[in-house]
Amino acid sequence: MALQPAWSRFGRLQPGRAPVRVAVVGAGRQGRAILTELQKLEGVQVAAVCDAVAGRLRAGARRAAGAAAFADHRALLAEVKDLDAVLVATATDAHRAVAVDAVTAGKHVYCEAPLAHTVAEARAIARAARAGGKAFQVGLLARSDPIYRLAWSFHRAGVLDRIVAARAQDHAKTSWRFPSEDPAAEAALNWRLDPARSAGLPGELGTHQFDVVDWFLGAYPVAVRGRGTVRVHADGRTLADTAHCALRYQDGVELGWSATLGSSYEGRYELLQGSMGAIRLAWTAGWLFKEADAPTQGWEVYANRESFHDDEGITLIADATKLAKQGKLREGVSLPHPPLYYALVEFVNAIRAGTPVACSAEEGLRATVLGVAAQRAVLSGSEVAIDPKELELG
Amino acid sequence: MAAVLEPAAAGHPLRLAVHAMATRFELVLAGGDPVRLRAIGEETLAEIEACEAALSPFRPGSQIARVNREAYERPVPVDPDTFALLVACARVHRASGGAFDPSVGPLLVALGFRGAGTGDAAACAAAHAAVGWDGIDLDPGWGTVRFLRPGMALDLGAIGKGHALDLAGAVLRRHGVAAALLHAGTSSVLALGAPPDRDAWRVTLGRAPMAPRIRLRDAALGVSAPRGRVVHGIHGVDLHHLLDPERGTSAANGVVCAAVTCPSARDADAWSTALAVRGRALALPAAAAGVVALRTDSGAVRWHALGDPAPWLEIPSMSTSPAAP
Repeated sequence: MALQPAWSRFGRLQPGRAPVRVAVVGAGRQGRAILTELQKLEGVQVAAVCDAVAGRLRAGARRAAGAAAFADHRALLAEVKDLDAVLVATATDAHRAVAVDAVTAGKHVYCEAPLAHTVAEARAIARAARAGGKAFQVGLLARSDPIYRLAWSFHRAGVLDRIVAARAQDHAKTSWRFPSEDPAAEAALNWRLDPARSAGLPGELGTHQFDVVDWFLGAYPVAVRGRGTVRVHADGRTLADTAHCALRYQDGVELGWSATLGSSYEGRYELLQGSMGAIRLAWTAGWLFKEADAPTQGWEVYANRESFHDDEGITLIADATKLAKQGKLREGVSLPHPPLYYALVEFVNAIRAGTPVACSAEEGLRATVLGVAAQRAVLSGSEVAIDPKELELG
Repeated sequence: MAAVLEPAAAGHPLRLAVHAMATRFELVLAGGDPVRLRAIGEETLAEIEACEAALSPFRPGSQIARVNREAYERPVPVDPDTFALLVACARVHRASGGAFDPSVGPLLVALGFRGAGTGDAAACAAAHAAVGWDGIDLDPGWGTVRFLRPGMALDLGAIGKGHALDLAGAVLRRHGVAAALLHAGTSSVLALGAPPDRDAWRVTLGRAPMAPRIRLRDAALGVSAPRGRVVHGIHGVDLHHLLDPERGTSAANGVVCAAVTCPSARDADAWSTALAVRGRALALPAAAAGVVALRTDSGAVRWHALGDPAPWLEIPSMSTSPAAP
């Protein structure tokens, strides 16, 4: 089996005559991460930064020399001339207002995932995106992550054979609370903990991982069970800080998913388990575990291997043959840039060259519907059926 | 040598930690609403992680990795915090007569402190030839860095932790935290205010019975010692990581430990490194930057305080001397 393209083929920007002028709306941690990655992209100019919270706006503007600063996205859209695109990194429940206004103003839009905290809002965004006719990319990062694409190509070539189960987790030790320099503004910043504004752990974290499994299975779940509890952060919150879900697919495959804010053990990964092998994906690294009776691949001789107790993982790394010859195999085992970088490169390429976006609004809608359904399952403690019609825009 | 942090006097301060820059950063926060303090502490740790992502030469996507790859070809822009760090490097480099020099990157690589190394004398000589801050061009107008010689590379390992602590301290101050102690692997320390009911945070240098004690209040401490990682160098000589940029090999001047306290953790880190590299010859300029303690081994191991140590430094049976060596 031939290895897939080198890292250098991913994350390659299309050249452009004029700079792409973008605005980042929402300068919290994710907005600032976007600004950091945008700085690496030649020919991309951050024309404006927007955040309603003064301290965040200041911090964001520092990362974008020469950018205009706005507290309101409508003023930004009205005043910034020759703006090509808007990147939306606000609180999830504010995505709709910003994304729809930006699409209506004729801008290309990159919107963080989940699309929204309710199905109705997510559908409204997806509808606007379709009507807008410009590039609209959703920040489900696996879709543009070179490691995930490499893994997917192995999977498509049949390395796993028949998938029997999937597992995913997002474990971190964090309160999920954000401080404000103005204590009175803290409630607004902590929308993640507000049941009226947040889709909880399944919505905010699960959405990204459900998307990975759907992509690899080429299918969407038909039902989800869930439960959750406040296990560690007993600080007055009502939304679970620890949750478990089981997503059932039509053919009987089940995805077991867990998330917690109380322990970082094993972090964040997705595992696809097939009858000839398993693929474990952890955003900046990935591994293939083969069954003893799996056929041997020619390239394995060059592969880097890592031990996981009794299992040996073959590091998924593009261009292993070339790197091995250069004695640089070890240097290339993890992704050179954060996954966000590759997503932004694809977005800019879609603007410049009209190439397809890495993740469409429709795909974003499906993952969001699943995240919201899983949150409903966690809140109710019972099984929630997923209506296939809800997954389509119609 | 590491500083030993003494427990806070009152209550149960909140402790948070993160692994970054190949060490453990710890944060001790005292006083105030613990729920809000935790949120502020997590924001602070996120700042430290962002700082690592910007500075690590091992992450190809970092700003410094990009500088090292491209700065000989063209000026490379860096963010305002990183540019300010490089300006601080230039300042201490000048004031220390070149003892502090983050352009030792190629030498650290060639000698094997950053991976396998070559162990090859010609490669080490070539790497040494590339070293020298005079080959670094900083343009404040554009916020860019340029290398004037091929083969140059920055390694901010001797100052990055202090820089991260300064940025972290700024986050805490912005959120109104009055009392906190932050440290990176106990070799770089930053104190905000003092613990409840105490006049200062107390830090002991090492664990020896006669170890000096430093009181820190709104001040930083940097500690450097020619220990830690040792590589088997060319000509069969063991080398430690404190390289003398001029000689291109490990510093050898009898310094067992150099400690500097001053307002900025970044400066404390840089000056403690410079002192450990050049020893007492640098006492005067170092003392101008802050209070200095130097432990030397010239027959008998003893501590010296340079400059005016009172009231921050308590060295049992200490030899105090004027700033001039």
